[in-house]
Amino acid sequence: MTNEEPRLPARELLERLEPALSPARRIRAMAALIAGVAGALFVVGLWATEPGPLPGRTHLAFGLLAAFCLGWACYGGWLLRRRVALFATDRVVAGWLALVASASTTTLLIVLAVQRGEGLGVALGAGAPVVVVALALTVRAHVQRAALLRRRRDLTGGT
Amino acid sequence: MTDELLVVRAQLGERDALAELVSRWRTPVWTYVRRMLDAERADGVSQEVWLAVVRGLPRLREPDRFAPWLFTIARRSVMDRLRGRYAEPPAPAGDETAADPAGAALDRAELIAALALLPPPEREILVLHYLEDLPVEDCAQICGIPAGTVKSRLSRARRLMRARLEEKGYRP
Repeated sequence: MTNEEPRLPARELLERLEPALSPARRIRAMAALIAGVAGALFVVGLWATEPGPLPGRTHLAFGLLAAFCLGWACYGGWLLRRRVALFATDRVVAGWLALVASASTTTLLIVLAVQRGEGLGVALGAGAPVVVVALALTVRAHVQRAALLRRRRDLTGGT
Repeated sequence: MTDELLVVRAQLGERDALAELVSRWRTPVWTYVRRMLDAERADGVSQEVWLAVVRGLPRLREPDRFAPWLFTIARRSVMDRLRGRYAEPPAPAGDETAADPAGAALDRAELIAALALLPPPEREILVLHYLEDLPVEDCAQICGIPAGTVKSRLSRARRLMRARLEEKGYRP
């Protein structure tokens, strides 16, 4: 009984952990979340700043598109929370991607609002909070990574 | 290389550090799971523990406390399987650790052979403290109980173990 050992060799155990560590899966999760949020922001921004009264079908189409984008965002968030591991360096990359995507989408909404001559406040009101959240996440990811790098340096005696 | 350094490197995304961590702790985790569950479930539950560890590792705040964190996760998986059997009356609080000489007399083989006869709370605390060599404070954190309760549970576990061994004809 005392000589019992795990039947699963270390290499095979690591292979079974691969789904949680796979770079492709991490990228897919990040892409789903970021594209989903950016898409939903863009659709809702367009919907809110659309000039004149819209027919019912157009409202329905905007609603469905927004729900579709939010669905992808939720899927990406679920993958990141429950299925894949996002390590410090991944978080920095994800933060920058989120920042670029949210800033681009907000800029696009602002340009459209300016061209239409209305809805600038709505575009700013919808886009700015998302950009701020993306910025905060990016800063936090950098701070956490820097702390880990510092700790690694301390533990290895500065090498 | 220390566990803390391996954890920090793994948190930075270094795959070889994670592989080394898994390789280093694979057997201790499996041993804990095996002592708490039957052999058929030990491999599957261990794998489940490692999946949870990998997913949770980026959020571990204290890399120097890796071992208690790891066994807390392992314990959660084991308790999911043992739920119902584990709801037994708690041992009385108090520090009785130093008073029982039976612990020193038990060798490792006898300890392991008699473990399966103990109720899960006592078995668990013996596994963590004696087989995994974790200090009382870490056992307390893993089990979510005060250090005094760990000591009293250890004392009770040793008494039970001695009784079981004596029933089987063992004399210290």
